[in-house]
Amino acid sequence: MQISRRIFLRASAGAAGAGLVLGSAPWTPRLAAAEAPLVCPVEPQPIPHTNATPFGTIIHVFGPGPVEGIDPNTGHDPSLITDFSGIIAQADLNLSGTGTDLTTGESAPYEFHTDIRFMKGLFVAADGRTHQGAFAFL
Amino acid sequence: MGLHSYDPGISPTLVVWTIPIPEESAQIDLEAGTAELHVSNICSVFDAFTVANSLTPTHPLGNIVSAVFDSLDLRWSDVTRSIMGFGDPMNQFSGDFFETAATMEVTATTLESTGHGFRFVSAATTQVNFAQIGRETNGVFF
Repeated sequence: MQISRRIFLRASAGAAGAGLVLGSAPWTPRLAAAEAPLVCPVEPQPIPHTNATPFGTIIHVFGPGPVEGIDPNTGHDPSLITDFSGIIAQADLNLSGTGTDLTTGESAPYEFHTDIRFMKGLFVAADGRTHQGAFAFL
Repeated sequence: MGLHSYDPGISPTLVVWTIPIPEESAQIDLEAGTAELHVSNICSVFDAFTVANSLTPTHPLGNIVSAVFDSLDLRWSDVTRSIMGFGDPMNQFSGDFFETAATMEVTATTLESTGHGFRFVSAATTQVNFAQIGRETNGVFF
């Protein structure tokens, strides 16, 4: 699987941030004890199912649809994260509204299609531990 | 006004377009067949202009730019079909699922500083293609 620029940039930004923290305050046991503990994000893991997109990437998601599944890539598990136990909701909707160009101020009718979901409950994260949390697929 | 498509990117663990949210922002009452999602000021999203541009590593329509979900309110109600005790050994998940209607209100903004400044304010949910709520277990909890 190819790594998108988005993933690369996010990983680089995280590494750069950590480097700045370490560079500005050399670590000593006394200093570390006096400071608030570092809080690392708890990363959930993707469902095992993969979907090869026509765009050169492979993503871990089923398209919206009944859990019985219409085809191998549609329906089935609505969750985006695996090792999960909790509540879910998903909505595949079309919306109407108004779009505004913030540079020109021009407004016009605009339509959007959206697939929004949430998952809330227990999950085993990449750290191997079970956590409680909520996530939105946007 | 151009094309606009919002998503939060792919996580380091390869979870697609998914971000943590406050637990209180997502609520379900399965007995009543209702659910709600209310979030605001979600800054960890991008405008990729199209889904294809988001998922294409070379981003042929241009690099993704910073955006915000100013507010998003989604409500599920009116159960139309219940699937109780469903299990799928192949995909390792099971649960109770309730297909519903849904309505959504959203305001999303592509930051003006990106050179692609744009704001969408929804007026109506014109079509529900699919909506459901439920409880499930998957993976090691299956």
